[in-house]
Amino acid sequence: MSLIIEKKQIKNWLKELKKEFQVIDTRNSILPAKQYFLPPKEDIFIFNKKTKRLTNSSYQRKTLIFGLDLNDLEAMTQLDEIMKNPQPDFFYWQKREKSVLVGLTEESFGPAPGGDIIFKKINPYQYQAMILTEKGEEIINSPFFKKNKTRANEDFKDKLGSFRKILLDSEVLADAVAWSIGHKIWDELAKKCLSCGICTYVCPLCYCFSVEDKVNLDNAKCVRCRQWDACTLPHFARIAGGHNFHKTIKERYYNWFYHKFVRAYREYGRSQCVACGRCQRYCPAGIDIEKVLSEILEDYKKVKK
Amino acid sequence: MKNLYLPFKVKIVKTETLSHNVKLFRLKKDKGKFSKDKNDLVFTPGQFVLISLFGYGESPFGPASSPYESSYIDVVIRGVGTLTEALHNLKQGDEIFMRGPYGNGFPLKFIEGKDMVLVTGGCGIPPIAALIEYVRANRNKFGGVYLIYGAKTPADLLMKDRLKKWEKDIKVLLTVDEPDKEWKGYVGMVTELIDDIKINAKNAVASMCGPGPMMGALEKILRPLGISDRRIFVSLERKMQCGIGKCQHCATGDKYVCQDGPVFYFDQIDKNWD
Repeated sequence: MSLIIEKKQIKNWLKELKKEFQVIDTRNSILPAKQYFLPPKEDIFIFNKKTKRLTNSSYQRKTLIFGLDLNDLEAMTQLDEIMKNPQPDFFYWQKREKSVLVGLTEESFGPAPGGDIIFKKINPYQYQAMILTEKGEEIINSPFFKKNKTRANEDFKDKLGSFRKILLDSEVLADAVAWSIGHKIWDELAKKCLSCGICTYVCPLCYCFSVEDKVNLDNAKCVRCRQWDACTLPHFARIAGGHNFHKTIKERYYNWFYHKFVRAYREYGRSQCVACGRCQRYCPAGIDIEKVLSEILEDYKKVKK
Repeated sequence: MKNLYLPFKVKIVKTETLSHNVKLFRLKKDKGKFSKDKNDLVFTPGQFVLISLFGYGESPFGPASSPYESSYIDVVIRGVGTLTEALHNLKQGDEIFMRGPYGNGFPLKFIEGKDMVLVTGGCGIPPIAALIEYVRANRNKFGGVYLIYGAKTPADLLMKDRLKKWEKDIKVLLTVDEPDKEWKGYVGMVTELIDDIKINAKNAVASMCGPGPMMGALEKILRPLGISDRRIFVSLERKMQCGIGKCQHCATGDKYVCQDGPVFYFDQIDKNWD
């Protein structure tokens, strides 16, 4: 047995949920869902200079993120893991714990990549709801869903795109990227890359940040805010006194790859990339990371034969 | 869920000028003492704390006081940036914030029973100072202990009163790059320093802090002495924003200085591309 919702009823269901949740439709969003839990900029502490009281920001709102595709769901599963281990990130979980993720896909898939519910298109007019967590269970108890006696056919066929295929063997990818440090491709990319950081902002699995204090004009209140940073930006690895561990674009761009495919693999056992394609789409210099990885892999395999 | 970013209040109970741009701050907890771990230590020498002044930011510093001392923590701060210069303007009685300690610290159990060469330069002395205090409190557990401390000029050598005190328990070797007329110590990180060091290289470790003297000491002193790279412990410096392995600023190779370090075996990091 499965639950079915009519396509035209989805918006009514979401409307009903608005009573309880802040509902965000994230379909076709340039910025990935990380922005709701690790916002581009957020106040984390407020220090009152007169009373000398320090308070942290508190977040009460329940959020429902609707329309995540399979890649974004997988990215959220990975980001949850990153934000949980080795130690939990308070400000991320403060928002994430109160949120529900609803996926939406036309593709068939094997094991669910993440989220609380996934809507899978079964025909032009209907979606089948796959409930994955208790949180999902709670919000699906609604007259908009009809029980369907026959389970919709599982027609899962492994139709992986080329980028996905590259990511399958994250061990080889880690070895190849670590090996590639002297490869000419990094010199070529250093000439192309504008060091703008867009690839990291649109990446659902880039999560680096910096912390900055702001003081009110009347000097009464100070806010400590955390904001997205990007390891491709010039100041990222600079320390007091001015020494910079990643002075050149080449070092920074390589570091970005090194983190995603080498350090991430050694830390979590997989690449921190879900082939969503955002970094390719929005790179103003037209860098295509799938092509970069393919070239490195090809040369690596030639050498290691 | 515990908020690991939340700092606690500390009061400056003493400030001391150590050189033209370096000051020591003695910090006391708002209420009560600093808590101790199962080894009776407030922190492991080599660990760092994050000090913050609201309105200016937060930065890591290695405590310089004895790790057994729970009524205060000393931090040594060179005024080189926004936060550190603002801290230099603070006086006794002012309040700031702290969190930590973080990181691993020097491997105290491993270094026990061994001879030890400590190498540091200029402002890298605080974690080494804490380690020396640990050695002094457990003097019979260590063999010969040698401190090689270098600075640009004699005036840049910090904690001169403590260096004197340490001389009773360990051998202190001082070296400067630009000596003045009265200078009687060494000049530069020179091979001759070896003549003053009597250790059993097979049962010796080295602990270093600060990038300045590191490579020179390695090539001219530690390797010639016969101390293997696995037994050389290096404390690294990076700017960190979180201290708990998230923000990515302190990454080097596949390690995070804040979590996996700041103290590394030399051969753990010497092949890192960055």
